[in-house]
Amino acid sequence: MTIAIETLGLTKIFGGLVAVNNVDLTIPDKAIFSVIGPNGAGKTTFYNCITGFYVPDQGSVTFYGQPIMGLSPDQIMYRGIARTYQNIRLFPSMTAIENILVGAHSRLTTNLIDAIVHTPRFREEEARALDEAKRLLKFVGLAGQGDRVARNLPYGAQRRLEIARALASKPKLLLLDEPTAGMNPNETTEMIHFIRNLRDELGITILLIEHDMRMVMGVSDRIAVLDYGSKIAEGSPAEIQHNPRVIEAYLGRNASEAQN
Amino acid sequence: MNKQIANGLRVGLTFGIVNIFLFLIKFPVIAGTIIKKIIPNFIVALFPINPDILDILIFIGLIGIWAGASGGRKLDEKSDNWLTSFVGGAAAGLVNALLIGALVFILGSLTDAHVKINAYLAAILPAVVKLFLLDQNTLNGSLTQFVFSFVAGALGGVLGFAFRGQWFASLKNKWNAAWASLTENPQIKKTFARPIARIALSALGIAFLLFIPQIAGKYWNYTIGTVGIYVLLGLGLNIVVGFAGLLDLGYVAFFAIGAYTVALLTAPNPHHLMWNFWTTLPIGVVLAAAAGILLGIPVLRMRGDYLAIVTLGFGEIIRILATSDLLTSFTGGPRGVTAIGQPTLFGKPFSSDTDFVYIIFIGIAIAIFITIQLRSSRIGRAWEAMREDETVAQAMGINTLSHKLMAFAIGAALAGLGGVLFASRNQFTGPEDHNLMVSINVLSVVIVGGMGSIPGVIAGAFALKGLPEILREVQDYRILIFGALLVAMMIWRPEGLWPTARRSMELHSADPEDPESGEAKTSEDKP
Amino acid sequence: MKETTLRAKSSKPLSAYRLIQALLGALFAAYLIWRFYNVFLDGTPSYGADSWLRFAISGVVLGSVYALIAIGYTLVYGILFMINFAHGDIMMLGAFSGYFVFEALEKIPSPVIDNPNQVFLNAHPVISVLLAFIVGATVAAVSGYFLEKIAYRPLRGAPRLVPLISAIGASIFLENAALLLFGSQRHDFANPVQITRGEGWNIPINGEVVILPYTGVLTIALSILILVALYVLVQRTQLGRAMRAVAENKSAAALMGINVNGIISRTFIISGALAGSAGVMWGIHLGLVYHMVGFIPGIKAFTAAVLGGIGNIPGAMLGGMFLGIIETMGPAYLGMSFQLKDVLAFSILVLILIFRPTGLLGEVLSEEKV
Repeated sequence: MTIAIETLGLTKIFGGLVAVNNVDLTIPDKAIFSVIGPNGAGKTTFYNCITGFYVPDQGSVTFYGQPIMGLSPDQIMYRGIARTYQNIRLFPSMTAIENILVGAHSRLTTNLIDAIVHTPRFREEEARALDEAKRLLKFVGLAGQGDRVARNLPYGAQRRLEIARALASKPKLLLLDEPTAGMNPNETTEMIHFIRNLRDELGITILLIEHDMRMVMGVSDRIAVLDYGSKIAEGSPAEIQHNPRVIEAYLGRNASEAQN
Repeated sequence: MNKQIANGLRVGLTFGIVNIFLFLIKFPVIAGTIIKKIIPNFIVALFPINPDILDILIFIGLIGIWAGASGGRKLDEKSDNWLTSFVGGAAAGLVNALLIGALVFILGSLTDAHVKINAYLAAILPAVVKLFLLDQNTLNGSLTQFVFSFVAGALGGVLGFAFRGQWFASLKNKWNAAWASLTENPQIKKTFARPIARIALSALGIAFLLFIPQIAGKYWNYTIGTVGIYVLLGLGLNIVVGFAGLLDLGYVAFFAIGAYTVALLTAPNPHHLMWNFWTTLPIGVVLAAAAGILLGIPVLRMRGDYLAIVTLGFGEIIRILATSDLLTSFTGGPRGVTAIGQPTLFGKPFSSDTDFVYIIFIGIAIAIFITIQLRSSRIGRAWEAMREDETVAQAMGINTLSHKLMAFAIGAALAGLGGVLFASRNQFTGPEDHNLMVSINVLSVVIVGGMGSIPGVIAGAFALKGLPEILREVQDYRILIFGALLVAMMIWRPEGLWPTARRSMELHSADPEDPESGEAKTSEDKP
Repeated sequence: MKETTLRAKSSKPLSAYRLIQALLGALFAAYLIWRFYNVFLDGTPSYGADSWLRFAISGVVLGSVYALIAIGYTLVYGILFMINFAHGDIMMLGAFSGYFVFEALEKIPSPVIDNPNQVFLNAHPVISVLLAFIVGATVAAVSGYFLEKIAYRPLRGAPRLVPLISAIGASIFLENAALLLFGSQRHDFANPVQITRGEGWNIPINGEVVILPYTGVLTIALSILILVALYVLVQRTQLGRAMRAVAENKSAAALMGINVNGIISRTFIISGALAGSAGVMWGIHLGLVYHMVGFIPGIKAFTAAVLGGIGNIPGAMLGGMFLGIIETMGPAYLGMSFQLKDVLAFSILVLILIFRPTGLLGEVLSEEKV
């Protein structure tokens, strides 16, 4: 089994608060892996540690065997990790197509001189990038909406556009932060299919933070549970569903005792 | 009705205070001389009073009418009629007139008592007070001022109502319809959309530009050249501020580097190198760009708003160094450098003001070309993304530092070019050419024109640099007006006079779907 | 909490940039030590003890003025996360107000038997000085209030560049309004005769006499008084609590029933009053007021605020003091011309922002702002 990403003893401390505490995770290639946990469990901080926005205080992160800790976010993007945000963060006044083209930034190579002179290389690359962007737009179901400004798109479309933007960099690993937040059950079901598709058709490993249990249980191969920054459980969806520590973390001690 | 009166009094107070300020900086007198230029003489001759006073009265009257119109403005749909408008206007006029009358009376009495007011208030000379008193004695003069402003206010209230009324609305509609039939006409649109039409239009424009300097006189060519250099600087800063969103207040430093490069390399003093102008031109541009990168490397890692003050500090450092004794032997010190070399073409001097206009036009053309090409490239997109959300831009693989540096360097190079041309044309450069006000002027050009917009920058340079040349009287008030303009633009029209469609949308985000669009950044979710 | 985020960001493993930073830092430290040897130990010192005392005195006086202005920047930055560019010009308005108060009092006769020409200013120096400070602080506070109301409040929630540009515009406007109103000449501050500039207690040292100026002592004493009062206000009162709450999280504060706009207004009033007092002190101690009098002190006070860690009130006080002393002693220590003291101050600003943007004492800002 190839390992996509592995964290060892990952720890991040804010002031006196241990936001991520000694987390070991091993995510296999082409898996759909979920990280769940109550609010404030340190999930997003964990993402920020992987993507280079925070430098962990201890531990290591390796990506396909390469250490990536300490690299800047743009360097990590170049290694093949893309992400979306819990509260959608598109470039609001750029069009959908432009958003995707920005996502493709790391795959384009033209430099300043090319851009000023519009060399043939530049034109050819731009044309190719544009084709690709249109294809991605279609893939996420936004065909024909390319010239609309991102902020004017409906909520669900913005979510999908954000994923398309992440995909434009051809990532090996995609980090999704609550992709179904604010969606209705129908949209959630669609999103489950969509995420499966990503893995099955494009062969991308997916790391998912999610609150919606139906979604998590429906889509994940494997789940890890964080609580107060520590990993308290890991296993298949079925195992997690019956893990007393997980139930305790979510519902409180009494609930787990009641179930026992 | 009470509400209308209260509104009138409040508006009157505001106008009165503003009026007092304008009187104390003797603005009515200046406004009078401008009005003199606008209104034909034969109309003025119809009135049997001193034309100087007539002009001042026109200015005060217009402001009074404005005060009255705002005092009598429509507060709610129901009670909007002739009477309320009149009463509101009269209330505003009354307060405004009281303040003006009192001020004029006080100034008059003090002058009568031979107090030297201008020791404290520089503008208030006895002659000015005499004008304010409309050539009458203190009591009569201030009473006249009072009555005049009061009547103007009441009139303004009524006029305001009239312009809100039906006939004016229908007039406006007709005008809009006529305008639309011209601009929205598919036939005309189609004609202009044709490539041939575009090429023809551009050719016409270029021919026109080539032709202008030939007919314009020496003075006008000099003015056009100055405006052109500001267009060049504006286009450069536009890339830094408008595209990359970096507020650079030390932009003049790069201008200075260009100017001093050409000065020190071509002038007989202090170094007597006497190089050729055309050799030094690229050197100046490259040095400025290099300075941009060197300064940028440490500075651009900072949080956005610190950048403004640090670049301001850098600009000041350079200015102080240029004037200090430390560098006098190298830069010519406070007295500057004279007899700077000028360009030649095929062995003949090519350095008249007319010739320089052509050189500057070429510079502008290059700047416009670079701007357009970059805007639609990977780099332009990266700038835009960075401006909108730097954190996410970085997560998209954009190396924010190197892209900021690129913007900084291109902006600096254009400033350097501007500096080279400026110093060579004037055959002089000194520390006073490179003070903070240059940075502020260029920033105003970019902001007023519309950040990111090329026609905006050109329009801004003409409005801010060209208009004051035409209206020389306002020279002293120019910077004051810039300051007020910057604030006013930010409040009412942050996208500038001639915005790009995109920017206009960005700054007026009235989209109900996106409640957070105004916020620059949303916070990361924290544990 | 956010402090650590910042620190974490800057504590990345040794990149080339960090290496260069460390190298430059070491070089700089070595240079300072070499200068120490040169100035104090090597042969004949270029400045005697009396000169150093003189530098120290004027440094502390300047520093206490900077501290007052710096707090204004820090308070506003802490709450609105914007640099109030016009703050130095508010100080200028305060200085002019003080000047006019003294000028007016100088015109009021207050004769006594042995001096029939005496004027109010000299007859009642305490009242005169108090009056100058009260008027200066009030005018500056009112200007601060209207500045916020007119130029900043309509821009709440706009992209960051927008209020910053508005602030620059306001600053230019105020400077040029003062230029057009009061003229370009420098006005001489007419102090009461009891605190004539340049007079003071004589301190004999090394056979030389160093003057401890009355105006300097007045400035230091008053500014300490004001700083203590401010500290009590922010830490102990309802208003201070509300200010800190708004600085921490505007929307949460609003939900707790705090009138956010009111608090912001009051913050501007307080920082205006501080700047106004600083302006009057500037006039009394240094003597000249003109339309640009607030510009350089404004930038320097901002430097002081950054130096102490923006948002941090004790930091601003300390930063102001530090900057004042560096400015007076630094050129002598480094063997530079005193013409270049402003270059020194600006260089510190740049260096601090490059090497330690959180300031010496650390910033106090809420997470949403970083």
